[in-house]
Amino acid sequence: METVDRLLKKNRFELVLLLPLFLYFLVFVALPFLYNLLLSFSPASGSLGLTAYREVFSDPRFGSAVVNTLVISAVSLALELFLGLGLAMWIFKARGRWARIWRLAFILPLGVPGIVSAANMRYIFDVHGYLNAILQRIGLLKGVVDWMGGGWPSLLAIAVADTWKVTPLVMLVLLAGLKSIPKELYDSARIDGADAWQEFFYITLPLLRRFITMAIIIRGIDAFRIFELPLALAGNNIPVLSTYAYFEYAQYDSPATSAVAGLVLGVMVLVFVLGYIKVMGEG
Amino acid sequence: MGRVLRLNLLGVSAVLTAFLFLFGCSSRGPQRPVLRVVMGLTEEEWSVMKTEVFPKFEQRYACRISAYQVEANDWIRKLEAMERAGRVEVDVFAQDNMRLYPLVAKDLVEDVSQYADLIPDEVPKALRGVGIFNGKLYFFPYRPNVQITFYNAEKFAEYGLNPPRDWDELLSVAKVFKEREGIGKVGLKLWGGSPTATQIYEMVISAGGEPFSFTDEGWRRTFRFLKELYPYLSPDSKRAKWDTTNIYLANGSFYLAQNWPFAIGVLVKTYHKDYIKAYAGWRGPVRPAHVVGGEVLGLPKGGEHRELALKFVKFMLSREVQTILLRRLGWPPVRTDVYAEVEDWQRPYFEAVKTALKDGVFRPNVLFWGEFEKLVNSAVTRILVKGEDVDGVLQECGEKMQEVMREAQTNGDG
Amino acid sequence: MGLVVRTAMRGMRLLGLLLVLGWVVFPVYLMVKISLSPPEAVLRPVPEIGLHRITLEHWRRLLSSGGLYPPLIKSLTVAGLTVLLSLLIGVPSAYAIARLPRNWSYRLSVAMFLSRMLPEVVIALPIAVIFIRLNLLDTVMGLVFAHTVKALPVACWLLIGVFRSIPRDLEEQASVDGATTWQILFRIVIPLSLGGIAVAGVFAYLLSWDEFTYAIYLCLAKPTLPLKVYYYVNRGDWFLTSAYAVVTTLPVIVLTYVLHLFLREDVFAGSLKE
Repeated sequence: METVDRLLKKNRFELVLLLPLFLYFLVFVALPFLYNLLLSFSPASGSLGLTAYREVFSDPRFGSAVVNTLVISAVSLALELFLGLGLAMWIFKARGRWARIWRLAFILPLGVPGIVSAANMRYIFDVHGYLNAILQRIGLLKGVVDWMGGGWPSLLAIAVADTWKVTPLVMLVLLAGLKSIPKELYDSARIDGADAWQEFFYITLPLLRRFITMAIIIRGIDAFRIFELPLALAGNNIPVLSTYAYFEYAQYDSPATSAVAGLVLGVMVLVFVLGYIKVMGEG
Repeated sequence: MGRVLRLNLLGVSAVLTAFLFLFGCSSRGPQRPVLRVVMGLTEEEWSVMKTEVFPKFEQRYACRISAYQVEANDWIRKLEAMERAGRVEVDVFAQDNMRLYPLVAKDLVEDVSQYADLIPDEVPKALRGVGIFNGKLYFFPYRPNVQITFYNAEKFAEYGLNPPRDWDELLSVAKVFKEREGIGKVGLKLWGGSPTATQIYEMVISAGGEPFSFTDEGWRRTFRFLKELYPYLSPDSKRAKWDTTNIYLANGSFYLAQNWPFAIGVLVKTYHKDYIKAYAGWRGPVRPAHVVGGEVLGLPKGGEHRELALKFVKFMLSREVQTILLRRLGWPPVRTDVYAEVEDWQRPYFEAVKTALKDGVFRPNVLFWGEFEKLVNSAVTRILVKGEDVDGVLQECGEKMQEVMREAQTNGDG
Repeated sequence: MGLVVRTAMRGMRLLGLLLVLGWVVFPVYLMVKISLSPPEAVLRPVPEIGLHRITLEHWRRLLSSGGLYPPLIKSLTVAGLTVLLSLLIGVPSAYAIARLPRNWSYRLSVAMFLSRMLPEVVIALPIAVIFIRLNLLDTVMGLVFAHTVKALPVACWLLIGVFRSIPRDLEEQASVDGATTWQILFRIVIPLSLGGIAVAGVFAYLLSWDEFTYAIYLCLAKPTLPLKVYYYVNRGDWFLTSAYAVVTTLPVIVLTYVLHLFLREDVFAGSLKE
């Protein structure tokens, strides 16, 4: 409390400057959140109760929405980290003009709005779409595959589609990390006779840890909240938590159940972030 | 410090004023009255409306039409919002037949009984009923609709098949396609929402079931049949609704699928697929049945330009406009005297439409249609996709439906 | 021998890289291609991959339907005003945070970051429910407020970094010379960081332009461009979907490349580094 007191005394100017920000978050983040909480107790029915919670938790579609969200997040996160690290290391080694060119080529998806990338992925994963066309042309496939038919192929396809859009961001974060590693470390390692693998595991990876953590947390949060991609690719067929919440509200006109689904999603994100930080032991 | 605060507030309020200024001015047009129209259409349909239908009206009545695209479900919400705020910014709207009761129940539409004579004599009696609630006229019928069945004539000829006339033939056709092509080619609309509910409803009625029962023989028969048929359906069935069905018919994912007649123009004119023909469709085990859908026109309570809006209704029901909509969009006309105006290439398709309409069935307009849709969708997912037991799932859905209907009853009384 | 192996390895890696490159470019190519292809080339059991035939029919339909300009104008207005609002609130706040004692500025940054953990649907639903009551659905203002929720934290992080990089000495010097804190902010700090403020503005613009979730909750009759794309996805019209997708993407791609030509990745990561 004492520190708060000091802050109030010494930094009144800053606090005044911060006022609009504070008010904005109060009105447009904190209040909506509280109202969402209220909505989840179905005030429309006249009295507060847990009906919406019961309805949601007994809905088999909700169960699959939870599983789908988890699977898509895990797969896309793994793919993005793997690809992002690979690309970042390539660009880092390339140096000079080539580094610039590769970097500009690989960040192309950053400039494509989410809904547009979802629409493009629809062309690719359609039964008579371009992935099947390519696979047939190079002779890997005789018939067709129904990528969006549900089950593992669909979840995988959605994760891959998400990877397309997001890998550049992971790449940039890790590239910044690579650039922060002092070059002398590698020089001395080489003098000691370390090979490329040893350099990677004993220097690069440990020193990148902070950046990887950052990438995982930032990306993990977004992956859980994935919305327009499954909405446009699979609609109601393959629900994730966000689209489940959206359909409950927009199609079935039921704000209460929508609010419950949104809250569950929020809790999942929170558990993920706190859990990750706890396991990795970073503040 | 106080100065900082003041200046901050000043800045914020300056921006807010700028905002208000922007919005305040945006909707004011020139002197001519502006008729604000809401419809839920596809882009082809909008383009015909905006280039061939609206300009005629604007010229004749010296006004301007500003039109908005709103989906049927959103429209109820939007209109409710505008009514509640006491600022209704729409003068006339088109709405899906199956989304009417909430508008009446929430008291959002004008009672237009006194203008009933705006409906021309050429509109069949059966079509008028859809706009009448508690003996009062709330909506003008302007676009009847019935699904016909499209089939890929080349492929049917190639395999020596005829379009199926009943459920048994439907199943055997589906089996032949699956065997010969390795993938199902018969499409049903199982995307979910209203298209799926309509699909199932039609089949249940044609199997002798009662609309909301879920548990009678007609329902069980329908779902047993669907469970048998499902493995032979095209995988795109899961994504098929009224609009995506066109893509699947065009790209060869479906060789046989039902759709509304607007698809005629899209398939033949836009996608150049003239080998896709149509017929009325298959009958069920008990009777032939084709759900009559479509749209009506209504006036929101509190809309301006009442006179002009009524003129617009009359205009949309006129022979002239109905002919344009028929010829350019393949909409079945609301007037019997317009059928003769079909273009030659459309004729065989409209024979199918007329045949289907003969066995037309209407869906009861109830407050709980949304709940019904949700239950039908969950039954479809559980029985067809997850393979759960037919009778068990239907029993459960039937009980829930009973509950919903009881609730609607008590709410309606209170 | 070693040389051969190394060259082979290098070749393999290059091949892998080219594959990745193809994967990165292909969807964007498809989007442009489909908007220019006749239906026969796309709607067939095995669609053509190359661009053999070109038609401007879909673009003609797009331009003649009159459906393009209202969403385009709405998207432009919303994005512009979001930038304005984000900077108006973000600049003073970020400056304040940059000047606070380390531990406090760290706490505030983290708090802002935590606001991102709330799913959009949790914020969008109540806003939509309230806006329905106030008849604010479909208004530009409503959407700007929602988009600022998303843009403000990002703008703040970027700006905190920018303001930190201004040497404290300059400010102290000015203070010794008798300038008020207010004057320091407006005469020294802001002019020195105009470049950084512009970058924050561009980011806010991009976030608003791309935004989909709030938009779909808060627009019913007057869509933004991303909603228009979704409308066609839903309507199953591949050709107009792609044409609208191109229109929606073009400005963002250009802006993104402009940003990246001038900036290093530290800016992107830097804002998150705290």
